[in-house]
Order: sequence, then structure tokens, then C-alpha cells
Amino acid sequence: MSSLSRYHALYESIRSRQIRPEVHKGLDKVVGRAIMRFKMRGVTRSWLRTQAERVDLMAPELRSVSADSLRSRVEQLRAVFARGSQAEEQVRTGLAVVREVARRETGEEAYLVQVMGALALYHGRIIEMATGEGKTLTGSLAATLIAWKRRHLHVFTVNDYLASRDARSREAIYRFCGLSVGAIVQEIDEKDRAAIYERSIVYGTPKQITADWLRDQIRLGRTNTAWAGRQTSALGGGPRGPISGPMIPGLSAALVDEADAVLIDEGVVPLIIARSRRQDDMAEVYLQAARIAAKLDEGPDYSIEHLRRRADLRRRGLVRAEQAWSEFTEPIWKAARRAEELIRQALVARHCYVRGRQYEVVEGKVVIVDEYTGRFLPDRSWEHGLHQAVEAKEGLEVTADRETLARMSFQRFFRTYPLLAGMTGTAADATSEMEAVYQRPVIVIPTHRPIARVESPARVFKDTESKWIAITDAVVEAARAGRPALVGTRSIAASELMSRLLDSRGVAHKVLNANFDKEEATLIAAAGRGGDERSGVTPAITVATNMAGRGTDIKPDAAALAVGGLLVVLTEMHGAKRIDRQFMGRSGRQGDPGQAMVFVSLDDELIVRHAPWAAAVLRASPGRVECRWGWLGRAAFRLAQRRSEARDRRSREAVLRQDTWMEKYLPGT
Amino acid sequence: MSERPTFSPFWHRVRAMTPRLRPHVQITRQHYRGQRWHVLQDPSTNQFFRLGPVAYEYVQMLDGRRTVEEVWKISLSRHGDDAPTQGEVIQLISQLYNSNLLTVDATPDVEQLLGRGRERLRKSVQQQAIGLMYFKIKVFNPDRILAWIEPILRPILNRWGLIAWAGLLVFAIVSIAPYWEELRLGIESTLAPSNWGWIAVVFVVTKLIHEIGHGVICKRFGGQVPEFGFMLLVMMPAPFVDASASWAFASKWRRIAVGAGGMIFELAIASVAALVWISTLSGGSPLVHQIAYNAMFTASLSTILFNANPLMRFDGYYMLSDLLEIPNLMQRSTTMLKHLWERLVFRVRDTFPPSSARDEQVILVVYGIAALVYRIFLFFSITLYVMGKMFGLGLVLAVWTASVWFILPMAGFVHYLASSPKIADRRGQVVFTTLAIAAAVSLLIGAVPFPDRRYGEGVIESPGRTGIFAGVDGFITDSHVRPGDVVREGDPLITMTSRELQAQRETVEAMIRETESLEREYLTQSHAMAQIAREKVATLREQRRFIDDRGLRLVVRAPRDGVIVGRDPTAAVGMFVREGTFLCELVDTSALRVAGELAQTEGSWLFELPRESFKVEMRTHSRIDRIVEGSVERIIEAGQRELPHPALGVGGGGVIETDPQDRSGRQIKRPRFRVDIHAPGVPIGAPGERVRIRYTLPDKPLVAQWVDRLQKIVQGRVNI
Repeated sequence: MSSLSRYHALYESIRSRQIRPEVHKGLDKVVGRAIMRFKMRGVTRSWLRTQAERVDLMAPELRSVSADSLRSRVEQLRAVFARGSQAEEQVRTGLAVVREVARRETGEEAYLVQVMGALALYHGRIIEMATGEGKTLTGSLAATLIAWKRRHLHVFTVNDYLASRDARSREAIYRFCGLSVGAIVQEIDEKDRAAIYERSIVYGTPKQITADWLRDQIRLGRTNTAWAGRQTSALGGGPRGPISGPMIPGLSAALVDEADAVLIDEGVVPLIIARSRRQDDMAEVYLQAARIAAKLDEGPDYSIEHLRRRADLRRRGLVRAEQAWSEFTEPIWKAARRAEELIRQALVARHCYVRGRQYEVVEGKVVIVDEYTGRFLPDRSWEHGLHQAVEAKEGLEVTADRETLARMSFQRFFRTYPLLAGMTGTAADATSEMEAVYQRPVIVIPTHRPIARVESPARVFKDTESKWIAITDAVVEAARAGRPALVGTRSIAASELMSRLLDSRGVAHKVLNANFDKEEATLIAAAGRGGDERSGVTPAITVATNMAGRGTDIKPDAAALAVGGLLVVLTEMHGAKRIDRQFMGRSGRQGDPGQAMVFVSLDDELIVRHAPWAAAVLRASPGRVECRWGWLGRAAFRLAQRRSEARDRRSREAVLRQDTWMEKYLPGT
Repeated sequence: MSERPTFSPFWHRVRAMTPRLRPHVQITRQHYRGQRWHVLQDPSTNQFFRLGPVAYEYVQMLDGRRTVEEVWKISLSRHGDDAPTQGEVIQLISQLYNSNLLTVDATPDVEQLLGRGRERLRKSVQQQAIGLMYFKIKVFNPDRILAWIEPILRPILNRWGLIAWAGLLVFAIVSIAPYWEELRLGIESTLAPSNWGWIAVVFVVTKLIHEIGHGVICKRFGGQVPEFGFMLLVMMPAPFVDASASWAFASKWRRIAVGAGGMIFELAIASVAALVWISTLSGGSPLVHQIAYNAMFTASLSTILFNANPLMRFDGYYMLSDLLEIPNLMQRSTTMLKHLWERLVFRVRDTFPPSSARDEQVILVVYGIAALVYRIFLFFSITLYVMGKMFGLGLVLAVWTASVWFILPMAGFVHYLASSPKIADRRGQVVFTTLAIAAAVSLLIGAVPFPDRRYGEGVIESPGRTGIFAGVDGFITDSHVRPGDVVREGDPLITMTSRELQAQRETVEAMIRETESLEREYLTQSHAMAQIAREKVATLREQRRFIDDRGLRLVVRAPRDGVIVGRDPTAAVGMFVREGTFLCELVDTSALRVAGELAQTEGSWLFELPRESFKVEMRTHSRIDRIVEGSVERIIEAGQRELPHPALGVGGGGVIETDPQDRSGRQIKRPRFRVDIHAPGVPIGAPGERVRIRYTLPDKPLVAQWVDRLQKIVQGRVNI
């Protein structure tokens, strides 16, 4: 790579890091939103439709154009877009041409609604497109135009699998349009990454790209001009010597697939780059704390607040703990406050962190499970000894404590992009947050065909056992009918329980969770298989965690469609309605028939944590195993969901507030 | 147990920094309630920062070579649990950095610096907008002027000067004491419109001297005074100086001295003015006399009412704060009250008092409540006062202040309810408690009826007045009554004698006797003649009876029950009076009436309520212990421009404003309603006496009463 482009990358990178998006509070927030809406009033659904129709008018003419002349048109347009401002007409032409390119290269012709979506994305909106409406194609149309205009575009997907899949499947379109494309996935070595980031369009997960960005920031240190950066030896170059610049050449545009998951759900936990601290004497301390914690009794000694994940020692517990730790010689036990913190942490690790839910033990190590996607986060660890406390609880080897080197919330990161666009199946529920935090309005794009999915009302059971029995019955029934089913569970543990239940009934099925993520692609590809009694083919029954909830495209085959399409069974409601809707959206794509069933019980974490009194009321309502007043039960669960959504929203706000505070009031960046 | 987590997730932001205090930062040691504190001061920007011993030690160890983390570890090893937590260190560093007291090795981030500047500007604009009642305008830097004045005054700026000052003050008070009456009377001419201009001039001058007082004393102890300007105190320009350099003085007495400096100078002016006033009392220029009075008036009264008042953020507040050794008294007492409310009413667990010392807590609570009450009182009195003078402006001021003092905190409270993490786990209960309290309060003031009382003035009148006249001619020999005596019907009032009557009677008597003897003679002689004589006797007897009747009238008796008023009959004893001469008057106590007065804006309810529904009670000024009940007899609906009696007007000792041009003292400026009140059978008092009248209206919820009264104020002002 040339020294000039390195310098340019450095320059852009530093320019990006100096962007400090404002966060409004109180009344300013309301005013800010009103201003944003006024500024962005131009792009409405009807405007998009008329534009898309005009794009459509150009299609017949373009269809007859030869490949060479299409190529030359692309070149012209690219030059026009690169020059910056361009008229709506050129945008329409660009869109029509890219649409034609996509048709020729992949055989998919974008529908009118997809053109509308692409246009909205190009204008930096968050669009809601029903699941299965072809977001990938929509995204690639918009991505081409944006990359033409802004040189670099980052396309965010929810997981590595989707990143590499999409990058590969869209490559032909981009190449024809004169754009290079690459995907950043876990396996790619750090030194190869800079080259990929140099490409016009880069696919990747937020975690990968944000982490690379943060690593760049650490490397840049406190440098805040490109010239100063050039001189920094940390960048690998002496004075006037060759510069090894940052990996990411600035943040110019982002297109986020599954925008609500990325921008909102993941906003709770900031990304942290950490390194191990060499402090080996602490390992013993965590084990000691875990031993003390095991001896204390919940109730008389301490109380646990599950919602806030915190433990409070009562007087008796404190006295007992003090007696216990007075025997230890490690210096930390001499400081009463720190010692108490350790015990409380051990208690939290003991009660609030459950194996198979928040983490899994893989090859003798604690691996965090992402609560939203159900995937492993192998490089992550909890902070300030919590990870060690969990390791101590599991009786594993206690690793060294890690210290944070840099930290950034995803909210902060995405707000740095001058252009941010997103698409998702479920954005409407998050409109206010998108508008308030990201200053992005949400536009709902109509569906191409009407949705034919049947959503059965949720069934509310009084205890977990009867719920699981009912679920198993439903799945068994589907399997008998030769209908493929996707059973969604909230945790790995639950997916394994489901699997055992199905085994006991002799139903052939596959399990997809973080433990089996290697088989993801094959499992998903087969998940739409219908059964055929004559040929002895059993329908695909897939038990999956949230891993299957996003971006997976399950295509029911003809046999499956004949018996009513894919059946989606939700074994629990999630903390946010959007996630439920996402999962249900796996069936009934593109106007296919399909069905979604929801089973909940009064023992579910959601209602126990967020509306325990409602659970108590429901328990007393008529019905032995199943609440006869289903409507009341559904209302209660919806209420619990709302409360959980509000809670998460507040913690995201807190993260953002802290971030802003740090940036505003602490020296350096 | 307070929650102080050792670690902070943001530690990495500061961990590797090597900051140190800026070299020009000045440090002073101060003691607060037996604890040592250090005040960091940046003389160039006048920013202050107070640090406790452990935090100060921490900051001291930051020398530009050690990293934040190294220093933290040293602190941990020295102080254990008392050492600052990571979160506290971050807080400390950010505050010092943002007060420009700390340099950090990083290249300054221009955007951040500019942002900080913008923020500061925005905050100061915001503060100005919030404190519309005290608007500040900076004018110039008075430091050089003060540097010139201070050496001149230095010889007296010491304890001897203070003793001399106290002496002057005592002397002035002692000498003015005998002239108390004149002093009191002087207020009238002081408040007269012709004097307003002088008052304003004198006010500004005394306040200038006041500020010089602060400035000079501040300079005397080595402080800088970088700012002079005007503050618009409820539209009145009041000068101010920035003497905040005194906050860094080590001795609390010096800090108090700077705070008191203004008042010391001003009271000195007041004392001198008092002496001038006394000397010009008899003779001397009336203008000088008046100005001296003005100076005495403004310099003493305003100082005592405003500057010395610790409940507002003026001199007295800072002095009290230093005296009690509780800095940030106002803010901390608010925090304390909030804490108590959260703990006791909302039962929040994660709340901690701003101080752990028992006595300090008590002070904070007492001060907090006093300041709150005073603030509400001040709001209403200032607003109503300004509204009275300039209605429109007053209204704007009222709305603005109400929104800043009441609505903003209310919105803040709602925000707190909705999103404070402190009450996150018991939001439901807290909201319920709040709603319950709000419901109880609104029920109390909105639905529970309370007695509604209105007050008015009145004067006793009497429609039934009877003149007592002499029934016959005669000399008055005796008077049995004096004015004010209560008499019953038939009681003798005056006794007269009449020789003429006596003589007449005697003549008639003699004639009767003579005729009777004649009759007896004629009885034997002529029957006819006897008959004539008999008839004559009858006539004469008739005549005698007539004379006897007149004789009865010599004792003048009360024609009915009543009170003697008018001329004192005793004075007429020995006098000869002709029949029909006026002797005295008898007032019918059973028919006494009170002419009540109500301002038009006050009395609209008179026409809305049936007369039976309200109660009228009266007290005379002479016997305030006795309450007389009465009833409304008649309401004169049209506004009256004349008082029923001059006693009600200001001139007659009453409270109703009258037209000063009018000699009768009965012409009033604004029309009023007249109510005739009747109290049958009860002697209220003497006619012409002023009466305080209380109208007890039917019980009404407080809100309705307030709305009613507010409407009246608005009506009254708008109609002017």
C-alpha cells in the first residue's frame, strides 16, 4: 500500500475520531427530534414510491443495453457520484442501472418496494422491511450507490456467517459496478485486515469492526492531527519514515443490516478491548470468595436482586463472612470494603449467572453467551473480577484479571458515521430510540406480497412442565403432518432440554446453538424441508437459540408449503417484542404460508422478573395447567415485556450518558 | 453503608495519564468543623475547588511523572478503605481539569476546549434567564481603583477601626432614640412621590459604598476583586463586586469580615446620616435633612432586610455559611431535605445525607426549611408588590419566576420519578406514594371546605336619634346623666324648677278655694249662681291639672331606652331654659347601624350570596375583646365615591385612601361598596366609632378561595 494512501487513511481516521456527536437531554431532546424530523421531512413513503416508479420506467430500455455499454454507463455514474452532490435524477438513473446490473449478475430483479427501500437507505434512513422481503438485494443496491459517493462503506451484519455469505453473494454486482468488496470475520489475521478495509465495501459484524476501530484508537494514542500521527513512532514510522497507518481509513458510511439488533439491543454492553494483567495471587482470592459465598445462606445472610444483578449482605452474613475471611492471609482481605465487594461479587456470580444461559463452559473455559443472539463471544470476558468469580464458582482454573484498554459503546461508534442507514424487519417498535439516539427517522416499506403467516395467540401455562409438554405435543403433531418446524429457545440449556424431550418422543430433529455453530449453514439450508411419508423423508425439526432469529433465510420446499409452510414455535417470550417478531418472521416469507405459535408459562423469567404480581394474579385465575383467561395472560406478558424494554432502554441511555460525560469532561480522547 | 465500588469501568480513560496541578494554582488550608480542607484557586479565572485531606493528598502526589494509577495505588496502601475509589478519582480529575486547575500531558483537544467554553456560556445565559429577578451586568474591573482606596483606609481597617465603628453606631442609636416620633413621621414624606428620585440616587450611592466596603476589605486581606457590575434587583439597579477571592482565605473570620464589609460601611453611612438628620432637625436645609433621612433609611433598612438576611444568597448567607463552617449551605441543605424525603417518605435505601455529622445535619434541615418557606414568601410578596405597581411587568415576572421556582422543579421531579436510577427498584411504590400525597393535598385544598373570611371596615351610625328638649320654661337644677350614659325609658335626665309655674298654681289654687266658698254661699241664695260657681271650679281645677302636667315636665325623662349623646347637660345646670330648648340627644341603641365599607374588588360576593348565608361579626377599636354579631340590612350596589364618615379615611385615622385634596376627608379615590349592617338590641359602641368587620362566608375549598382572591387582584389592577 502506498505511503500516500496510508497517510490519507491516517488523516481520515483522525478526522473521524474527532467527531463528537451531541447527546441531548431533557427538553433539548424533544426539540432536537423535532428539528431532525423537519430536516428529514423530504423522504416520505409516497415520495419514495413515485421515485421508484420512475426508476422502474427506465428498466425496459436498460434491459436491452449491451454489457459493454452498461459498463460504460456505470463508469460515468460512478464518476458523477464521486464528485459529490448529484441531482435526484442521477440517483434514479444510478439506481436503475445498478438494478439492471443486479438482474444480470444474480438473476434477481428488485421489486418496486426494494427500490423504494434502497432509495431510503441511500438517503440515510432506517427502513423496516418485513422479513423475507429481500433485504440483502435492497441493501446491495443502496450499498453500491453509497460506496460510489462516499468511497468507503461498512455493511454491518449480525454474524460472521452472514458477513462472508453476503460479501460473496454480492461480489459480482459490486465488481461490475467498479467496487471492491471484502468481509472482516473473526478468523482474519490482524495484519491482513488493513488491506480489506481499504476496499470500497466491507462486510462485517459490529464487534469486529468496532474492535478494529478501537485498536486503531489505542495505537493512535493521543495523537490528534494526522501530521502528529505521522511522526508517532507507535505507528511504525520514525520521522518522515514509512507510516503504518490505522487499519480503518476513517468512518464514512455505514449500512446496518438488522439495525435494531445492532443499534439498539447491542447498545447495552459496550465493546471493550482488554489485556490480561499479571496478578496471579488473585486467583486464590477468588476461590476463597467463592467458598465463603457457598457457605452463606440466602435469606438470613444476604438477598439477591436478580433484576439489577446485585447482592446485598445482611448483618448476619457480613459477620459470618468476616469471620471466614479473617483466616485468610492475602492482603486484600484486610481492606473491609474490597473484601465485602468480593463476597458480593461471588454471590452475584453464584445466583445471577447461570450456565447455559449467560455463559457456557467450553474446554475448561468460561465463554460468554450473547443473550440476544445466542452466540458465543469467545474473546469477551466480564470485568472487574466477575469473570474470575464465575470461573471460581465453576471450579475452573481462574484466569488473570483483565484490564480495560479502551472501551466504546456501539451507540457512540455508529453515531460517528456521517452517513448511517439501516434496515431491519422490526424497526417500528424502536422508532423513538432511533430518532433520539441516532437522529435517523424510520420508514416502513410496504411488503411486496401480503403476509400469509398465521400467528396463533400465545398460550399461557401455569408452570414450566406443562408448557414444555404442550410444546412437545405441538412439535410432534407438526412432525406427523410432515411439516417443518423451528423451535426457538432463549438459552442453550433450554434448547438442550427441548432436544431431550423430542428424543423421548422419538422425533428426529437437529439442534442449533452456540455449541454447534459450525453446522449453522447446513442446518438452516435444510430447515425448510417438508416431510414425505411415501419416500420416508421426515420433516426438518430444528431446535435453535436466538442464533436462528436473525438473517437466516429458511426456504420451505414444495412439500412443506403443501402442509402449511414452516411452523415457528417460541418457547418463551423475549425481553423485547422485536425479538419475538424477528423469530416469528422466519416463517411466512415472501407471502409463503406459515404459522407461529408462542408458549409461555408463569415461571418464565420474563414475567417473574418484570411483573411478578401479574404472575400471582394469573396463577389464581381459572384453569389447571393452562390459563383459561388467555387474553389476561397475554396482556400480562406484554406488560412484562414493555417493562423489560423500558429497563433495557434506560440502561442503554445510561451507557450513552456515561460515554458522553467521559468525552466531554475528561482530558484526551 | 454507602455504596462505593472500588473499580470503575472507565478507569482506562485516566489510568495512564500523568497530570499535575497547574503551577499557578494557589492553595490555602481551611478548617471546617474540625476538619482540614484545602482550597485550590486559579487566580486568573477565579475558579475554586475544595478538597478533603485524602483527596488533597492524592492531588499533591500527582506530579506529572507518576500516573494516575500509581498514585491511586499509593493512596490505597496508605488509606485503605478511605482512599478514593476509581470512580471518585475520575470525578476528581474531570472536575479539576474542567476548572482549569489540572494540566494533562495530552495535547489539548481544541474541540473539547471550545465545547467547554460554549457550555460555560450557555450555562451563564441559562442562569441569567433563571434569575430574572436578579439580572447581572458586568461593567469593569475595579481592582486598580480598590488598590488605590485600600491603602488610604488601611489605618482604620483593623480591630481598632471596628471598635470605633461600633462606637459610632451606638452613639448614633443613642442620640436618635429621643426623636423616635419625628423619625416615624418622617416616613411619610420619604415615601412621597416627590422624594423617589432622591431615594433612588441615595440607594445607588449607599450600595456603591457597600460594594466598596466588600472590595476594600477583600483587598485588605490580599484578595483580588476582578469584577464590578450592576445587578437588577427587581428592576432596581444594585451594584456588586466579585469578592469571591475571599473564599480562599484561610481564616474564617477574614472571610466573614469581607462578607460583612459592605454592611459595616453602609451602617457607618447610616450612623453619620442619622447625626446629620438630628442636627438639621431644627433649621438647616430641608433638602439636606431629607437626604440624610433617605440615607439613614436605605442604608439601615435595606442592609438589615436584605444583606444581613441569610436566607437569600447575599452577604448574610455567606457569613452564616462561614460562621457555621458549612460551605455550600444552601445546596447541601436542599440535598439534605431531599435525602430525608427520599428516606422517610419514599423509603429509598440508596440515599445518603450530605453530611454524617449529627449537628451539621440538624443545621442543614433547619436552614433548608427556613430558606424554603422564605423563598415562597418572597415570591408572593415581590410578585404582588410589583404587580401592584406595574401590572403587566409583574405578571411576566410572576409567570417567569413561578416557572423557574415551581414548574421547573416540578418537571424535574416528574423526570426524577420517571427515570431516576435511585428509585429504579421501587418506582411503583414511589409513584404511588407521590400520587397519594398529591391526591391528599389536592383533596385538602380542592375539596375540603375551609372557613372563608373577608375583612372590612365600618363606622357606627345611628338612624334613631332623639333630641331631648326642655318641656317648659325653667331653671335647670340638676342633671342626672352625662353623654354616653345608657338610660332606660322613664329615667329622669334633668330636673328643672319654675317659679312661674309655682306661682300660677298657687293663683289657681287660691281661685279654686275662693270660688268654692262662693259656691257654698250661693248654694243658699241662688241656685243658678251656685251652678255657675261650680262650673268655674271645674274649669279652675282643669286649669290646675294642666299646670300640674307642666310641672311634671320639669323632670325631663328619657322617652325611650338609649344612650345620651351630644351636649353635656350637666354643663347647663343653673341655666334658665325656655320651653323647646335643646338639652341633649338620646340615641336609640336598639337601632344602631354600622356603615360598612368594602372595596369593589373585595365585595363582589355580596351580590352573589344570599344575605342569610354569611355571618357578620364586628369589633370596635375601643373594645377589641367584644365581638358583636350583626346582619346585613342593605347593600348599596353602585360604587360610592364618598365615605359615610371621615373616620374611615386615612385622614380620620382609618385605612381607606382618601383624596388628599378634599377637606371633608370623605372623598375616596376608588369607588367602594357600602353595606349597612344592623345589630338589633346590642349596644355596639358609640356612633362614629370605627369598627372592624369580619364577614364569614360559607365554607369553601381553599383553591376556590384563592382563585377568587387572585381574580380580585387581577380585576382590581386591570381596572385602574
